[in-house]
Amino acid sequence: MNEARLEMMDDSSSYVEGEMTVPSSKTSHLGKPEFNTLDEPIKETIMRDVKAVGIKFAYVLFPKEKKTLLKEWDLWGPLVLCTFMAMMLQDSSDTVNENDGGPQFAEVFVIVWIGSMIVTLNSKLLGGNISFFQSVCALGYCLLPTTISLIICRIILLATQTYFLFFLRLFVSMAGFVWATYASTIFLGDSQKEGRKVLAVYPIGLFYFIISWLVISHTN
Amino acid sequence: MAELEEVPTDELLLFHDFPTTHNTTASAIPQYINTDTANIPNYDEFAEGKGNSNDSNDSIDQPNATKSFWTMEYFQQFFNVDTRDVHMRIIGSILPTNNSTLRTEMRERPDLYGPFWICITLIFAIAVSGNIADYLQYTKAEWKYDFHIVTYAATAIFMYITLIPLCLWATMKWSIKSINIDDFPEQMPNVLELICIYGYSLFIYIPASVLWTIQVNWLQWLLVMVSAILSGSVLLLSLSNILKLSKHKIVLSLLIVGFHLLLAAGFMLYFFHAPSSSSSTTLVPITMDKIINIPKNVSESHK
Repeated sequence: MNEARLEMMDDSSSYVEGEMTVPSSKTSHLGKPEFNTLDEPIKETIMRDVKAVGIKFAYVLFPKEKKTLLKEWDLWGPLVLCTFMAMMLQDSSDTVNENDGGPQFAEVFVIVWIGSMIVTLNSKLLGGNISFFQSVCALGYCLLPTTISLIICRIILLATQTYFLFFLRLFVSMAGFVWATYASTIFLGDSQKEGRKVLAVYPIGLFYFIISWLVISHTN
Repeated sequence: MAELEEVPTDELLLFHDFPTTHNTTASAIPQYINTDTANIPNYDEFAEGKGNSNDSNDSIDQPNATKSFWTMEYFQQFFNVDTRDVHMRIIGSILPTNNSTLRTEMRERPDLYGPFWICITLIFAIAVSGNIADYLQYTKAEWKYDFHIVTYAATAIFMYITLIPLCLWATMKWSIKSINIDDFPEQMPNVLELICIYGYSLFIYIPASVLWTIQVNWLQWLLVMVSAILSGSVLLLSLSNILKLSKHKIVLSLLIVGFHLLLAAGFMLYFFHAPSSSSSTTLVPITMDKIINIPKNVSESHK
């Protein structure tokens, strides 16, 4: 029979004390700008978020730093990109009797969101140490190269189509695919163990390949 | 019984009001708690498990570890594979060899990573190359791609990958020889192993579906036969231990290979094959027109 002595003693003065002020000193030493969101104009609040989204876009286009995109995740960028792509790619059902075989708005939307969730879940199941929304955020922001390739393809489609222009579109969308995969690998590749990197990167590549296939196949 | 002193259970079970702040008089009293390790049977194991919990692989590697269905860890045990494992299993699903170590490892440690991503890849490989094949067959000026091949391919593949293993498992349950159950209870497969084996056996259809875009009739059929026979024979080899136990092993093996061949032929005919009957269907309106037109001409000439 062992006896453990559990001391449930507290420090002598146990009443909670403190001051009801904004702990400004705490935020400043983390390197964040010091601001008070309560009494600033609404324009500044919105512009700050827009700027944050813009900075993340820049990181995707020039993927150098690894942690910045993940540290403060948001889903605004992915939402904007996904909605834009779904609008551009959707089936133009001008003719009532027959659709042109392209995906519907909701189908593109579902492919992007469910697809990025499945890819994230896959890397979580493989034992990756990254939070769910961080990964969804990074995957969503990395849609930017494919969105740019979609815009270029739409511009090319304005001209009369030749084989050369088809191969140009193919090249553009493949470049978008490679770029997106490369950027997301930089952001997410570190979260896996050494022997499993390929297993985690392959679904990411497949995800962007499918989206690039939608981009190249889209003709109106 | 009389020696036991009466415990005031009612008092113990009552709800008490404890102060939210620690008052000094109560906290000053040290609390004696009896920690009899003998009362906790798995104390040592528990402590060891705690110590090793940093290495998450340890807990996953235990084959008989029972985890709650609703936790991440439960599903992580099906994704506990390395790149090398998946690579070896894919190669093993194409080349029928007598090397049984891979097969036993696959049965001991079935994964869902390979089957799931092989299915997804196959769906989109069929969708992409099916569209290319459709374009090559197309003769009219304007061609539009068909996104909804994805839906048909996904339905077919996920039906195949779930229903066939389930049916096979159920048939095995029903037709197993009663003597053998006692001898080899561990030989009875579970559904997961069967799904794993079936999922990897679909891999060969990915390169096949890319090559099916080449619009040469005999080449397409050759690809169907080669891919179905290769992966079908691997399927039979890996299932042979299980099928031995069944009373109807010949019928079952024929059905397995038959369905595999049917799937390949179905893919090829539905998504890639230029319908040879298309010429006859286009001919029909022409002949109908002629039939309708002739009496008109005749009647006009009579006038």
